[in-house]
Amino acid sequence: MPTLTAEMILVMIMIGVAVFLFIVEWVRVDVVAILMMVTLPLLHLVTPKEAFSGLSSNAVVSIIAVIIIGAGLDKTGVVNRLVGPILKVAGKSQSRIVIFISLTVAFISSFMQNIGAAALFLPAVQRISKNLKIPIGKLLMPIGFSAILGGTVTLVGSSPLILLNDLMVPFKLKPFGLFDVTPVGLALVAAGIACFVFFGRFILPGGGKSDESSPAAEERQEENQIIDELGRPWELTTPEDFTHYREPVTVDALRRRYLVNVVGMVEPPDFKVLGPAPDQEIRSGVDLVVYGQEKDVRRMASEEGMELKEDLELFKGELADHASGTVEAVVAPRSNLAGKTLNQVDLTERFQVTPLAVYRQGVVYRAELGDLPLRVGDAILLHGTWKRLELLHDEGSLLFTTPLDADQLRPEKAMFAGIWLAVALIMVIVFKIQLSVCLMTGALGMILTRVLSIDEAYQAVDWRTVFLLGGLIPLGIATEKTGTAAWIAHTVLNAIGTVESIVLLAVIGLLATVFTLVISNVGATVLLVPLVVNMALAAHTDPRLAALVVGLATSNSFILPTHQVNALYMGPGRYRSVDFMKAGSVVSIIFLVVMIAMLYLFY
Amino acid sequence: MAIITISRGSYSKGREVAEKVAQRMGYKVVSRDVLLEASEKFHIPEVKLVRAIHDAPSVLERFTHGKYCYLAFIRAALTERAVKDDLVYHGLAGHLLLKGVPHVLKVRIIADLEARVAAEMKRENLTQSQARALLIKDDAERRKWTQSLYGADPWDASLYDLVIHINQLTVDDAVDFIVQAAGRECFKTTADAQRKIQDLALACRVKASLAEEDCVDIAVTSEFGNVLVYTKQDDRRAHRLEEKLKPLVKGLPEINHLELRPGQPFPPEAC
Repeated sequence: MPTLTAEMILVMIMIGVAVFLFIVEWVRVDVVAILMMVTLPLLHLVTPKEAFSGLSSNAVVSIIAVIIIGAGLDKTGVVNRLVGPILKVAGKSQSRIVIFISLTVAFISSFMQNIGAAALFLPAVQRISKNLKIPIGKLLMPIGFSAILGGTVTLVGSSPLILLNDLMVPFKLKPFGLFDVTPVGLALVAAGIACFVFFGRFILPGGGKSDESSPAAEERQEENQIIDELGRPWELTTPEDFTHYREPVTVDALRRRYLVNVVGMVEPPDFKVLGPAPDQEIRSGVDLVVYGQEKDVRRMASEEGMELKEDLELFKGELADHASGTVEAVVAPRSNLAGKTLNQVDLTERFQVTPLAVYRQGVVYRAELGDLPLRVGDAILLHGTWKRLELLHDEGSLLFTTPLDADQLRPEKAMFAGIWLAVALIMVIVFKIQLSVCLMTGALGMILTRVLSIDEAYQAVDWRTVFLLGGLIPLGIATEKTGTAAWIAHTVLNAIGTVESIVLLAVIGLLATVFTLVISNVGATVLLVPLVVNMALAAHTDPRLAALVVGLATSNSFILPTHQVNALYMGPGRYRSVDFMKAGSVVSIIFLVVMIAMLYLFY
Repeated sequence: MAIITISRGSYSKGREVAEKVAQRMGYKVVSRDVLLEASEKFHIPEVKLVRAIHDAPSVLERFTHGKYCYLAFIRAALTERAVKDDLVYHGLAGHLLLKGVPHVLKVRIIADLEARVAAEMKRENLTQSQARALLIKDDAERRKWTQSLYGADPWDASLYDLVIHINQLTVDDAVDFIVQAAGRECFKTTADAQRKIQDLALACRVKASLAEEDCVDIAVTSEFGNVLVYTKQDDRRAHRLEEKLKPLVKGLPEINHLELRPGQPFPPEAC
């Protein structure tokens, strides 16, 4: 039994400070982590080398690499191709999407590192959130938690379980089989997802409410309002008898009549035109994609006998957010456009961009735009591919208020991206090389094959995640090195004395949960397994069960954003520590209850 | 089928021609009824309307806008009738009031001044010089009126499809010609033509409703029910106009979309 030293007290104070700062958020969580990184060596609790060892740790390097790989997949459109089928199966309801993606992530994460599964799905979830306008905060946390929970489904799902059999060798206990934990793991995954489906609206943050009050967000909302007024893209097919017994119908005629802007059409057999000219004739049996308000589009469809499709089909790729979009461009002072009408300027002919509306002094003009003489300060809403809009931007007569940062896709590199992902995964699964090395190989491969440039790779990395994880690792090291963790474990386990085995298991579970929040899950496992096995032997409880509780409960890391997956999702999901505490404490309690119940019933 | 407008001077037998054409073709004939309809609908004395369509705008007009309003009312009433098609309108400026509608057969009936003087003398019991003076004054008034409002001279033959001089030709000859012309392909009421008259009627309706609310100096166009209201007022004052437009949109289901265009030049086709 170790004795309490001054160093231990210091470490506990530091942990207290860190948790306190996480809660009150006087500074951001990653800054708290950096604070730990600096303070611990100053207090001589860790060596300077150990203090920064977190930055080069397996976990952090893996995250960096996996983010780069994810960015590569996103840039080549692989993610989009993945998102399509997901949405087809899952539909548009938030709960169904959560359930479907969570199950998929949990399944993948049961065979590979949680962080890998989570990182691979991050771009996909971001796309889905953007496309379906579901707040990303509502999606990421359930999916991230499922990735962590998925790690408990098989014995190779998470590092603690991988270690478990090795740690039991000294005690000559029978090792666990690969699927021995599966029933418990499945129950945990199911309970986690069910928790979010049923209570999600109470425990999840309301879609980034925290920054909704900022002026920038308000502006964004206002902008969305204009976009709402313009409607969304719709795809229609003209009937076979569309041109019979009538004057030819042109793109301009439709816009004059129904205030519907044709932004793309398929000329038979399958020649796609984006930004068709106003005098372009519309034939029978062609597919159109138009921008317009729902009532106008529906009126056009019924009056012209067009078939209105539920969703974009043929133009899904062309009209995806990454390929084209709507921007607001303002007529600049001294611009040569001032005083001219849009017909005279003829943006459609010259740049293949379609003016959708003109916004002047709080009024939106949609009808007969062509004859409207432009004034300095008029905002024109333009739709076009990013490439075309960029050409217009370069011409300089219009000032773009929406930045043209939409990244250009490189679909031709999709194969390389896929190959390098496969290489990385094969290295992990087949050759069992260390995760960080495998993933970094994949990331490097993508850069060498120009899937993305090295600058883009650097930009993709979320430094918040890197420093959050890197800074917490020395805290874990200090906790173990000074013997604080061992002392706490001993004290707690001694304090409870001999009790019913179920109580003992519950306490072990709780202890492992608390440890894994502060020190790494591997560290917690290595520390706790020998202790609890001895305890269990003394209390006449199954020592294997006690060890398994540790192995599982070290995945019960939801209350603080200290788990790699939570750290990764915190930035993109715009979560605060409080959000994790709220949702995480519910999930953590459910986790403990379900785990103990399942173990009690099945083993 | 068609809309026939017959423009005539007083005592030129235009009314007779119009009535016979209508009878022959089974059309309704409209003249003063439009004024009556307008006066009932917009609650103004008919005599004011008559003056509005007769006298040239005065200097005072610039301040009172009376004529502007009455014309808007008359036009609204006429186009509303014209939408129903099969119409013979006789009276002043029908061809101008229905400008831009393709299936309107525009006819002008003229007669010798001497014959008109004789007719007026007979009906009004005047001396020859009195009657002549009255007719000349009347013609000048009408000329001034059309010129001031539309910049067109009613005696300009190029405004009409058919100008018939009742002298050698009789009223029945004129009726024959008109009926024959009205049967031509180009005066058939096509879907497009019907749509145009509907749009014109809608635009006139909007303008008249705004005139009722004392909103003047406005031009209105409509295309497929998309109504644009042009005003020379600046953007700030136009906002007040916008408030008045809102209930209007609710009252007229034909309006598909309505936009206010402040500070823009009036397009030539606007009513």
